Amino acid sequence: MKDPFVLFWSALLFGSILWYGFLVFYIGLKAGCEIRTLLKTLGRPRPGDPAP
Amino acid sequence: MTLTPLDWIIILVYLGGCLAAGLLVRRYVRGVEDFAIAGREMDVNLGIASLAATELGLVTIMYTAQLGYEKGLAGAAIGVIMCAAIWLVGRTGFVIEPLRNAGVLTIPQLFEKRFGGRVRWLAGLFIVLGGLLNMGIFLRLGGQFLVWATGMPPNWLEWVMTALLGLVLIYTALGGMLSVLVTDYLQFLVMGVGIVITSVLVLMHTGWLGLIDGLNTAWAAGTLKSHPFNPLHSSNFGVGYLLWMVVTQIAVATTWQTQVSRVLAAKDSATAKRMYRRTSFYFVGRYLLPGLWGAAAFLYFHSAGRTPPADTLNAMPMYLSTILPMGIIGLVIAAMLAAEMSTDSGYMLTWATVIYNDLISPCLKQPLSPRGALMLTRGLVAGISVFLLAYGLWYQLPGNAWDYLAVTGNIYLASVFALLVCGLYWPRANAAGAYAALVLGAIGPLTFLFLGKKFAIAPEVAGASSFGLAFLGMIAGSLLTRAPAKAPAPLPA
Repeated sequence: MKDPFVLFWSALLFGSILWYGFLVFYIGLKAGCEIRTLLKTLGRPRPGDPAP
Repeated sequence: MTLTPLDWIIILVYLGGCLAAGLLVRRYVRGVEDFAIAGREMDVNLGIASLAATELGLVTIMYTAQLGYEKGLAGAAIGVIMCAAIWLVGRTGFVIEPLRNAGVLTIPQLFEKRFGGRVRWLAGLFIVLGGLLNMGIFLRLGGQFLVWATGMPPNWLEWVMTALLGLVLIYTALGGMLSVLVTDYLQFLVMGVGIVITSVLVLMHTGWLGLIDGLNTAWAAGTLKSHPFNPLHSSNFGVGYLLWMVVTQIAVATTWQTQVSRVLAAKDSATAKRMYRRTSFYFVGRYLLPGLWGAAAFLYFHSAGRTPPADTLNAMPMYLSTILPMGIIGLVIAAMLAAEMSTDSGYMLTWATVIYNDLISPCLKQPLSPRGALMLTRGLVAGISVFLLAYGLWYQLPGNAWDYLAVTGNIYLASVFALLVCGLYWPRANAAGAYAALVLGAIGPLTFLFLGKKFAIAPEVAGASSFGLAFLGMIAGSLLTRAPAKAPAPLPA
């Protein structure tokens, strides 16, 4: 474990697992809300839409 | 078959959920702009999910695991370079900021403003050619994973992948970017859970120290041909290859149309830059975690009494099928299907948009009605899926999967990168230089693709030469001909 390359890959590997786990929850919540906002915006009447 | 009824239920629920979500949002699509870039309303976190899901396909997992199998953890060095490139572009806004501010639908559309309509058309052709050839092997590699991970008969591969592509086609053709964003979100979640669980189980199976010792022993004994931890070592990538990768990854971050389509769909350039910075570290795991599975597969198959598979691509799925327990393998297969589907949908939509916007549209005497344009783009998505099935079934890879992807991508990466950089930042660049860059940039990759096997051309030579030739063509072509008649339009603020 004294090899600096081994230490480098160890840090990145465990960091990646933690980062992926965190993103699933964080992005799961935030992006879910953004999809609702996006659909609300695109669902609004726009200029050029046929009159109801 | 290694799948139990529980695994099948997980997979079918996932597939049904994706199809339903993709179809539910199609009613919000009212024109080509909604279809191609979701009305430019995408915010940063949805952008992260979509960018990450699209750029992490089952094909990615297969080739990065192959790199791990052949080169140990050092095979993930490309991911580190990719992370640095994406962060740097997100930090500086290099290319992506003026591109987003230009308000275009595709990259070639920007070229029309700078170099004229013919350059736009030719660049569109190169982008489509490189992109479709690149995507051509996705289905075959994805199918190989499913065959070896599930134990299904190999002759089912074509039928299973055709059905999967058909499913993706339904929601992509009907809902466009909006369906792609929503399904990418679901796929990002399933994929993230599957990748984390698989990585933890692989680590529990081999042990972290066991993996390091095993790779060191295999390297010392000569079983493993590449240094497993040092990517600079001549037996691994080496300095020349990594330098080519630095240039390639900066070009990918600024030029690869599937990535750039997320930049163009972003609310504004600040959102696009933030999306890049926050997604950057994801790309380390994109290479390193499947690389870990590949390296563990190497140790598994090179321990006493086991026969390594003839095709190194198959080692990782074969290994996973032996270590993953019931229920978990269903989740992992669902995650891998998610990876495949999100990539296929994003790529099909992107290339269809370029074909419509940059190859067909400029040739029409009268613009199509919004409905006609939408129908045509949907038809193009369907046409691309037919091409994928046909090409994916007969093409044989000349080398390893990553080299094929990098070189076919370079058909347009090098030339379009030269056009973008010089078009945005060098006022002297003109149409003659653009033509020269497009043609010269494609020579190296096409030579590798058709003659690489016969003349043993190294991929880094083919790839790096394409960048050199493209910039040489742009500079020489521009300087040897007249300067642009009028001063080019200033960069968008």
